[in-house]
Amino acid sequence: MVTRIALDLLGGDHAPESVVDGALLVAQSTPDIEVVLVGPVEVAERLLDARGAAGRFRLVAASQVVGMDEDPARAVRAKRDATVRVAARLARDSQLPGGADAMVSVGSTGAALAAAVFTLGRLRGLTRPALAAVIPSKAGPLVFLDAGAGTEATPQMLAQFALAGSAFAGVRLGLASPRVGLLSIGEEPGKGDELRRCAYDALAALPINFVGNVEGRDVPYGGKADVVVTDGFTGNVLAKGLEGAASMLTEMFTEALTATPERAATSQPMLPVLDGVTASMHPDQLGGAILLGVRGVVVVGHGASSPKAVAACVQMAAQAAREGVVPQIAAALSDLRDRTRAATA
Amino acid sequence: MTPEQVLGVVKQAVATVLELDPSTVGRETRFRADLQADSLALVEIVEIVEETLAPLAKPGFHIDDEDLDRLTTVGEAVDYAVLRL
Repeated sequence: MVTRIALDLLGGDHAPESVVDGALLVAQSTPDIEVVLVGPVEVAERLLDARGAAGRFRLVAASQVVGMDEDPARAVRAKRDATVRVAARLARDSQLPGGADAMVSVGSTGAALAAAVFTLGRLRGLTRPALAAVIPSKAGPLVFLDAGAGTEATPQMLAQFALAGSAFAGVRLGLASPRVGLLSIGEEPGKGDELRRCAYDALAALPINFVGNVEGRDVPYGGKADVVVTDGFTGNVLAKGLEGAASMLTEMFTEALTATPERAATSQPMLPVLDGVTASMHPDQLGGAILLGVRGVVVVGHGASSPKAVAACVQMAAQAAREGVVPQIAAALSDLRDRTRAATA
Repeated sequence: MTPEQVLGVVKQAVATVLELDPSTVGRETRFRADLQADSLALVEIVEIVEETLAPLAKPGFHIDDEDLDRLTTVGEAVDYAVLRL
């Protein structure tokens, strides 16, 4: 069965070229995914012609783009023909022949969020969607949210993220009772700012496997929590910090190992091993993050996504659509809400 | 539509977006200070209010973004909408 993915042609620092090249990578490697390019048709046709791929994809016209410097919510409201809004409409109409099973954008996160909320609607129980990334840690993959959908959060919102993250980890990581940790500056319950201290109590009252506070180093090392919850501002800073640290360490190791001809000769067998380890942390393999809390599959990628990263985002969206992530999360949230009510009654 | 009916529409939109009990929302309720509604939530509320009132309003009924910044309470939003219906 073919999974249809609406791909924002104009999103990202290297769009539209990297988007078209990413779509072509998907077409070459995964024929059971149909990419639908959403943007100015003449732009898509010109780029596809230049790559000898005319007619390769279904094209859906959208003439407007939301700039990185615009207020996303207002821009999406004003621009009914924005690429993200049209892509979200296709995802909303997934039951129709011309629809799509998911949407992907590597452009403005805020614009994708606003388009998804306005067009697809929110899942009940989540007043604000969160970006959930499945990231590698030394102990294994973990779910990290919010990776940057919003910049402000309340304790109640962090509790909602914990519920959604727990449900998502159940689906994606196959865990019956995922361990949920709250990112803070110390393990003790009283550590952190007011948001963290209040959120601790809110998470502790939920019918989830809350394991208390975790620290920044527990994200790359893993092992303490399967789900790490934080606000979007902190999450985005940490995610980019980890990404930069991984990239920097790779470069430093490579430079050190090849600094002299002698070292280069003896370390040659180690370089592919190093590449293998670091590749697992690269956006080209990780793809993007899934927006939890809307009534459809929406994957948002890094603004600087390469064609490989765009392709990884599309594949991630297709996997989420096939797994039925959204209905399963909706059901899990509903169940958790019922149990929360029962526990507090 | 009476102001009371418009108040009902706004309260319901606020309750839907922020998942609150509508009875906790009144004319004096402040969107940002009391409800912690961010810009996405405000625009979402506006979209619902516009959609609900549009069939009952004059053609072109619209809440301008510039005006949105000046509407701090539910009551101000209701008065604004009633004037333009």
